[in-house]
Amino acid sequence: MSYVYTVARLRGMENALKALSETSYAQWLNQSGGFDKAIDSEILSTCEELSSFVPDKELLTIFRLPYDFHNVKVLLKGLFKVRGGEAEGRRYDLISKLGTINTEELTEAIETEEYGFLPYGLTDLIPECWKIWEQTKSAQTVELLIDHQMFRAMLKVAEGLNIPEVTAWVKNKIDAENLRSAVRLARMKYESSKAINFFHEGGFLRPDDVAKLLNEPQETWSRLLSYTDIGAALNAMQESSDLKLALSDVSKALDEYLIKVLEPAKYSMDAPANVLLYLLTKEAEARNLRVALVCVAGGLDREFGRRLLSNA
Amino acid sequence: MEFLGLSLALFGAALAAALSGIGSAMGIGIAGGSAAGVMTEDPDKFGSCLILQALPGTQGIYGLLIAFFVLNKLGLLGGAGAVALNWNQGLQIFASCLPIAIVGWISAIWQGRTSAASIQMISKKPEAMGKAIILPAMVETYAVLALLTSILMLMGVQVG
Repeated sequence: MSYVYTVARLRGMENALKALSETSYAQWLNQSGGFDKAIDSEILSTCEELSSFVPDKELLTIFRLPYDFHNVKVLLKGLFKVRGGEAEGRRYDLISKLGTINTEELTEAIETEEYGFLPYGLTDLIPECWKIWEQTKSAQTVELLIDHQMFRAMLKVAEGLNIPEVTAWVKNKIDAENLRSAVRLARMKYESSKAINFFHEGGFLRPDDVAKLLNEPQETWSRLLSYTDIGAALNAMQESSDLKLALSDVSKALDEYLIKVLEPAKYSMDAPANVLLYLLTKEAEARNLRVALVCVAGGLDREFGRRLLSNA
Repeated sequence: MEFLGLSLALFGAALAAALSGIGSAMGIGIAGGSAAGVMTEDPDKFGSCLILQALPGTQGIYGLLIAFFVLNKLGLLGGAGAVALNWNQGLQIFASCLPIAIVGWISAIWQGRTSAASIQMISKKPEAMGKAIILPAMVETYAVLALLTSILMLMGVQVG
């Protein structure tokens, strides 16, 4: 099937979010697990529908890969706890069905230590994670190792597609994640020399350059990165006096930037990047819905909730 | 050498019909892919999609028209027998066919792409149907100019 058909069908699928009962989410609301599961089911159903007509399935893989690595983290951390003597350590409820690897198979592979069939470098990564855990007992170090591999795998899939916009998007995603980490590390007063391991290779920005930001006042970061497009997303930090709000503002601005990077594809009738753009927009829509529902259910400040909502 | 003129003229007519026909088929195919995508989600848009999909088909008709003109000029229609042509006259007829052959071929493909984009436009904004037709129709202008050029050139060639 051609991308002319694919993009036209995506245009047909783009519906404005109306009243919740009128949206495609409504069909999932009756199942057990509440809104969270309903939102995941809607995105999963979208991915499955798209996989029936998108010519390059790897475009969907790039979107779904982070969920695979999220599942690996959840399963490993659960096992770390269980082997540490915490009988109730496993959190199967946190496993997402949005990954490309069947969750039952992944769970069984990790619990039985049969990693042979796992893709994306997981075969070597998981034993390495166990080794690190046994040496350091640091879940954070293990998570970093998993994230490094996730971005390597995403970049490899993107480069295999040979679509420059998609490769550029993955590189921007790596930069966005590095900048998000830098903001968090700045809050924890990390020094640049100790922070370098927190940053991932493969983006447009070198990890060294991101680490150097930690030596500078946060309000100057956007100016220091003014030679990059992503630097503008850090303007949100200048506008926030509260560090907690600054982190959420920057995180939101970076998510919006990642959608903006793909927006030129909207003006093409057959750009493959439209598939990724559609999925990211859908994910942003789901995230907004989740924020709104959590705010209402938890009785949180409406202004705070509104601030978290993405405009993408 | 006796039939070289006639052969050149027929080759021109064949090119006019074939190339613009190929272009139209490709253009309609591109627009059709887009129409199928939109109609998968909203079958009610069949009418609008069909109009936009048909637009790149005109180049094929223009090519056929020029081929008829040439055959008529050569006396091959109506059973009266072919007129005598020297190679120079044959080459002139061949050259007359080139504008619609080339422009028809390429413009139909681009018109198909524009139609495909317009079909995607009406899937989100059905009220913009008028504007959606005008955009691919702009590409049509150049096919019409090529058709006129071919007709004027053909009329200028003296045979018989």
